[in-house]
Amino acid sequence: MLTAAARRRLVTVTLLAPATLFLAVAFVLPLGVLLKLSFAAPAGPFSTYAEILGGWLYTRVFWNTLVLAAAVTVVSVIVAYPTAYMLTLLKGWALTFALYGVLFPLWISVLIRTFSWILLLEKNGPVNRGLAATGIFDRPVEFLFSHTGVLIGMIHVLLPYAVLPVYANMLRVDSRLLLASDGLGAPPWLTFGRVYLPLTMPGVGAGAVFVFLLSLGFFITPALLGGANNMTVAMLIENLVNERLAWPLAGAASFLLLAAILVLLAAAARFVRLDTALEVR
Amino acid sequence: MPARGLGFRLAVHGVGSLVLGFLLLPIFAVVPASLNHGSFIRLPPEAWSTRWYARFFADPEWLTTLLTSFEVAAIATAVSAVFGTAAALGLARTGGRLRAMLTGLILAPMIVPVIVTAVALYYVGRYWGMTGTVAGLAMAHVLMCMPFVVLNVGVSLRALDPSWIRAAEGLGASPPRVFATVTLPTILPGLFGGAVFSIITSFDEVVLSIFIAGVQAKTLPVKMWEVVRLEFTPVLSVASTLLVALTVVLFVLFRLAAARAQAAGAGR
Repeated sequence: MLTAAARRRLVTVTLLAPATLFLAVAFVLPLGVLLKLSFAAPAGPFSTYAEILGGWLYTRVFWNTLVLAAAVTVVSVIVAYPTAYMLTLLKGWALTFALYGVLFPLWISVLIRTFSWILLLEKNGPVNRGLAATGIFDRPVEFLFSHTGVLIGMIHVLLPYAVLPVYANMLRVDSRLLLASDGLGAPPWLTFGRVYLPLTMPGVGAGAVFVFLLSLGFFITPALLGGANNMTVAMLIENLVNERLAWPLAGAASFLLLAAILVLLAAAARFVRLDTALEVR
Repeated sequence: MPARGLGFRLAVHGVGSLVLGFLLLPIFAVVPASLNHGSFIRLPPEAWSTRWYARFFADPEWLTTLLTSFEVAAIATAVSAVFGTAAALGLARTGGRLRAMLTGLILAPMIVPVIVTAVALYYVGRYWGMTGTVAGLAMAHVLMCMPFVVLNVGVSLRALDPSWIRAAEGLGASPPRVFATVTLPTILPGLFGGAVFSIITSFDEVVLSIFIAGVQAKTLPVKMWEVVRLEFTPVLSVASTLLVALTVVLFVLFRLAAARAQAAGAGR
């Protein structure tokens, strides 16, 4: 007969076993195989990593990806801030509607959202016809297969991840602090700069980390909206596997990307709480 | 925030409304695109027609992919719901480092770039005979779906007062009975929300699917991905519109469940 404590432990193990075993086989093991593969090049165990880190072509792809992710992050956070602030001013059905407006796009496939932008940004698409009507542009802007197109598409997909943590943070700000600042004679811009902005920076940080990390691994949007000159690391990995069948190199590129993400995540975890933002949907 | 000037509020609402428009409106561009009469998509259409819908539903290949998507979503959601709920219940019974580590493991597929997971699964999947099968696709999708079940059930589990369980046990209920009468009703809204999110995640999943699908088991997004790289046919906007419509329905269901869960929580 088992003791009560032993039985309790047995139940806990039984509950956790299916998910844990599944992840071990379907996630950890494949990644382990890929990691081993990245060291299995004929030219020596670290030759793949040396080739990627030493090759001008490869480092440029990594650099492109970083610059793109940084640009997407900066624009997303700047745009997200006033949007999140507007949400704090709304009540009732207006709040519900606006909040759903931020949440609903997260439910729509990235593929569809990217396809929509292809339709909108085409040479003869509505955006270009609108721009032509203003008379500022005398010929269509080449949005597609360019940096601008990728930027617009990625911001559209990732913006909600910036808005939600900032909004959650703004809700937690104690409005009495702002009244106190006002009451002490501070003009609105000073109250904002010295009280409100610092109090909402953790949300901004969490949003920025989210958008940046998700940008780094993005595949669909840059692959469809970008050109050959805008290759990201994800596109490089796909290319190495499908076009060049260079598995060890693809493995090395994968784990360099993953390492960059884990380092950033570890650094960010010291400053921002990331787990809370994951639960908002 | 204390009251600010009218100009300030107008500016905030102006910017915020523009951003909401930017987020929402482009998604629905596929709807008028699907109602084009011509073979080239023009927005807004010059002539309207539903003939591309007829074309979609008359094409066995599109219909097969739609069916595959339903199959994969059903299996992935069922597995995620069972494994994920069990894991959420198990996590609530642990603590400290073990709990943090296991939570990290369960959420890891959301942090590791999908392209990396896809390439790794593609490599081993060829040896395991997983590529080109519904089972292989479903297994890959569980990685992305299960975290939502664990998170959602975990949230509703926090509303469960441990004294209820002790009360049920004290009244002589067996563990399965305690689960069926106390635990399950409490976590049901979370389970429902997680399951709905699983369905949509599976239905939307592209990156893992394009590596694992092969030619034999294409889901709708895989077919869409193949087509979008070749041509921008109105049939593609039909497929997109159908997916958007399905998403709207599931989103409404999810919100209703969330509202009910909240009302139940507030009633306590």
